[in-house]
Amino acid sequence: MSATLTAAPPVRYPPGDLAIWIFILAELAVFAIFFASYAFARMGDVAMFNEYQATLDKGAALINTLTLITSSYFVVRALAAIREDQRKTSVRWLLAALAMGALFLVVKSAEYVHHFGEGVRLSSNTFYMFYLSLTFFHFLHVVLGMVILAAVALKTHQGAYSASEHTGMETGGVYWHMVDLVWLILFPLVYVMR
Amino acid sequence: MNTVMNTQTAMRPCTRVYLLLVVLTLVTFAVGHFDLLSGSRALVLSLLVLGFALIKGQLIGDFFMGLKGLRGPWRFVILLWLLIPGTLITIAFTLAG
Repeated sequence: MSATLTAAPPVRYPPGDLAIWIFILAELAVFAIFFASYAFARMGDVAMFNEYQATLDKGAALINTLTLITSSYFVVRALAAIREDQRKTSVRWLLAALAMGALFLVVKSAEYVHHFGEGVRLSSNTFYMFYLSLTFFHFLHVVLGMVILAAVALKTHQGAYSASEHTGMETGGVYWHMVDLVWLILFPLVYVMR
Repeated sequence: MNTVMNTQTAMRPCTRVYLLLVVLTLVTFAVGHFDLLSGSRALVLSLLVLGFALIKGQLIGDFFMGLKGLRGPWRFVILLWLLIPGTLITIAFTLAG
């Protein structure tokens, strides 16, 4: 009987504001269409896709994947810290996550500079059209995610979140995880699978 | 002290998941980097790599986004999303040979 009384009620809704989840689902739907379009467009000229895929820097993509995974983990640590009312620790983890996000942008930008220097454009061929548009669309999401994380870090520093109320941090966190989630599919699809 | 212990205990599954994500990422990179995706095994290894990505996505949804343990449809929202492009990509790569 006492076990029944003390058991936690079943949770039906995900962490964070429900509105961000609707937004995330819309974003994920767009990326799903992008991924499927890439895969089916590739059927038209597999040899060409494989040839130009070989020009991509897999090492840079590996660094970026590890960067985003690590950044996501840091956000989880920030949330765990604020749940224990450790505000300063939480801010430090958020700043570390932001630093990882910045590293992603630097590595990705270096890739773009290299490709543009080689004369690669959206109109070069279908593979590069997908590569540039897919990765740049994701790049913009990283930028937006960093703006959100920076705002969350500032509010945490100002004392807006605590162990009892941290919905805003959860909301920013799930958006950042979505950015990571999308890259986890994009990396093998565009850089590795052939 | 208790607070530190609670945080560490709560973080343990997420730390293990993080390490698993890193390992699966390194395996994915190795498959591409060492040019294992050539010849007759290209399709099988490509789909294996895609499978790793789907597992990684589900781990992010469950442990990082906090969907593990939810009741109701939200529990499966990331899984559903992963399965849709995952199935379409599998079909397209299989048909392309």
